[in-house]
Amino acid sequence: MTHILIFFIGASLLLYVLLGGSDYGAGILELLSMRSKKLRREQTRAINHAMGPVWEANHVWLILIVVILFMGFPLAFTTLMTALHAPLLALLVGIVVRGATFSFRHYDPVQDEKTQRVYTILFGGSSLWTAMWLGIIAGTLNRGTIPLARAAGEVGAVDAYILPWLDLYPFCVGLFVTCIFAFLASVYMVGETKEPELRNVFTRRAAISNVCVFVAGGVVFLASLLEAKSLFALFLERPAAISAIVIAVLLFVALWKFIKLRNVVFARVVAAGQVTMILLGWWLLYAPNAIITTEGPVSFYEVAAPRATQLQLMLALLVGSCIIFPSLFFLLRVFKTRSETGAAN
Amino acid sequence: MTMPFFMSAAHWRWLKTKDPAHLELTKMWMRGVAILFAVGAVSGTVVAFQLGLLWPGFMKHAGPIFGMPFSWEGSAFFVEAVAIGLFLYGWGRMKPWLHWATGLVVGIAGFTSGIFVVAANGWMNTPAGFDWVEGAAINIDPVAAMFNKAWLHQTIHMQLAALQAVGFGVAGIHAAFYLRGKAREMHLGALKIALTFGAVASLLMPFSGHFAGQRVAEYQPAKLAAAEGLFVTTTNAPLIIGGIPDVETQTVRYAIEIPGALSFLAHNDFNTAVTGLDQIPREDWPPVVVTHFAFQIMVAIGGILALMAVLYLVFLKKKRWPGWFMKALIICAPLGFIAIEAGWVVTEVGRQPWIIQGVMRTKDAVTPVPGMQYHLYLLFVLYAIITVAVVWLFKRQVRGMHKRLDDTEPSTKA
Repeated sequence: MTHILIFFIGASLLLYVLLGGSDYGAGILELLSMRSKKLRREQTRAINHAMGPVWEANHVWLILIVVILFMGFPLAFTTLMTALHAPLLALLVGIVVRGATFSFRHYDPVQDEKTQRVYTILFGGSSLWTAMWLGIIAGTLNRGTIPLARAAGEVGAVDAYILPWLDLYPFCVGLFVTCIFAFLASVYMVGETKEPELRNVFTRRAAISNVCVFVAGGVVFLASLLEAKSLFALFLERPAAISAIVIAVLLFVALWKFIKLRNVVFARVVAAGQVTMILLGWWLLYAPNAIITTEGPVSFYEVAAPRATQLQLMLALLVGSCIIFPSLFFLLRVFKTRSETGAAN
Repeated sequence: MTMPFFMSAAHWRWLKTKDPAHLELTKMWMRGVAILFAVGAVSGTVVAFQLGLLWPGFMKHAGPIFGMPFSWEGSAFFVEAVAIGLFLYGWGRMKPWLHWATGLVVGIAGFTSGIFVVAANGWMNTPAGFDWVEGAAINIDPVAAMFNKAWLHQTIHMQLAALQAVGFGVAGIHAAFYLRGKAREMHLGALKIALTFGAVASLLMPFSGHFAGQRVAEYQPAKLAAAEGLFVTTTNAPLIIGGIPDVETQTVRYAIEIPGALSFLAHNDFNTAVTGLDQIPREDWPPVVVTHFAFQIMVAIGGILALMAVLYLVFLKKKRWPGWFMKALIICAPLGFIAIEAGWVVTEVGRQPWIIQGVMRTKDAVTPVPGMQYHLYLLFVLYAIITVAVVWLFKRQVRGMHKRLDDTEPSTKA
């Protein structure tokens, strides 16, 4: 039963990155400069159109992870929430600002240039900010610097709540995650507009961000050399994780073939596949650990809630899936099947 | 979670009558719903995280016990998010009545979410579904925890309160625009939709309050005693209205007392004894003054709004409404929200010093992270800015709609 709950955490995380992540990426893309004002407006319109109907649903995956954690794995939840209080708060501020400014921008009835610009900068800036913090938190998880709740009182406040995440390596992971999100958004957005010029922009950005993902990935590996245990060493212990990363790199070839062929759907699938493989590689390094503390890793099995709770949680998730997936499918069918013709109207 | 119902009502009218004013109204309310839902959705994320950020000591034990309503709330929230996406962007992409239904689903799913969350809060007031042995919970039964003794009266009370507050809030805003004389018909129609919801909720409220009062008297006597300022256990207990409780002398000064009324409210009998604070160990007393004042505010507002609801039903048949009633509606606009806040103060402050009634003290639940005041300041400033921005946006919304209606008016007259 615990397996199923762990699976749901992993699946929610993946869906959050693939769907929610690209929404962050869209915000980041809007920060980049554009050749003309017209093109910039065109981009905002395409992004509003692409994200508008789905971003809230995409966001629920994160909440789902939190709920599974606190109901199913309470000790993991409270330990993380205590040790990572500061970065999580920073993350939340970013989430609130970007959600608010995105909807403000769209629903402000007076669409004047100046206020729209303010919304866009806030939306883009907070998207970048939030993506960075997500990465920093993800980077901190496998460092083994999180103090157990009872140990936290014995060390100083800075050691307990700041130093676990304040380092080069987590920030490099933050950068890496930011690049991944921008990459996903670029590839997805190619199919969301009919404007040839904007399409070219997105295609070019997909190429640049793809290279950035590889470079940032390399930087993460290098930064990990300064860690207690480098990623090289960790990956060598888990061949499955290496294969996932290798597949991610190899999919690069397929991606460029599809983008050249202008096959939007397959390009999206392959890009999502690449990110899935990266995440899988990370997950294979990490699982079945729920938290990696200063006193060693603690697995999901060790912190799982009593059976009665797990059963109810699993029931809620399974029944919920029967509601969530058909409705999500319906949402995508209504908005995404006709998006190529509808985006430019 | 209530605005979508108003929106659906207006939308339904538009589909039936094809009156463009109703379409304008639907779309204006829809934009309001969209903005509020976006802010609400991200705020919900904050709340989910804050359970752990602020109360790790509580969540460590409580998560597995009272998490169940949250796990269902996740699905409800998902449905709501999907439905709102369909409704907002579905104009012209779906059959009109299917599109209308998605709007209604937003309301229903939101309403359901609300019930789940309040049920979880009920568990903190009347913990159930576990045994507390040596500082840890055993024999956990999440289903029993969800259907705790407080879940029913709290959810009824809160859902009615939401309908009441939003109903009067929206009605007040439209009353203000009505008095300014712009697009009168439209604003009157809007006012009637919102106030109908608000009035029905307001008239049901006293019953729900009575029901809640009885339950609280039974399961949380300290809360009721603090809310009422009842220091001494009394038979034929009086209802204490107003006044300033003095904890030192254990009296309430300058209060109006209605003999026996509290006994009746708590136990349906004028002569039954109502437990006073003297039965509660001094260290388990909630802050009496705050709880008492908050309770008085809540009840007073409930009374005012119920009166307004009766007046509305009286005036409904009449052709012209008196101007003072419209003005009174404007004044009533924020009252429901104040009452909701006051009510939460009663239920939360009135439970102190416990975070889980009788099981865990609040001071044992709070996070060990230092500098929490900055957490509070940060969120306070953030939400102050967002509130100002939302109000400003709504104003722009209405101004834009007046312009459009002005533009169409000459053509309809001609």
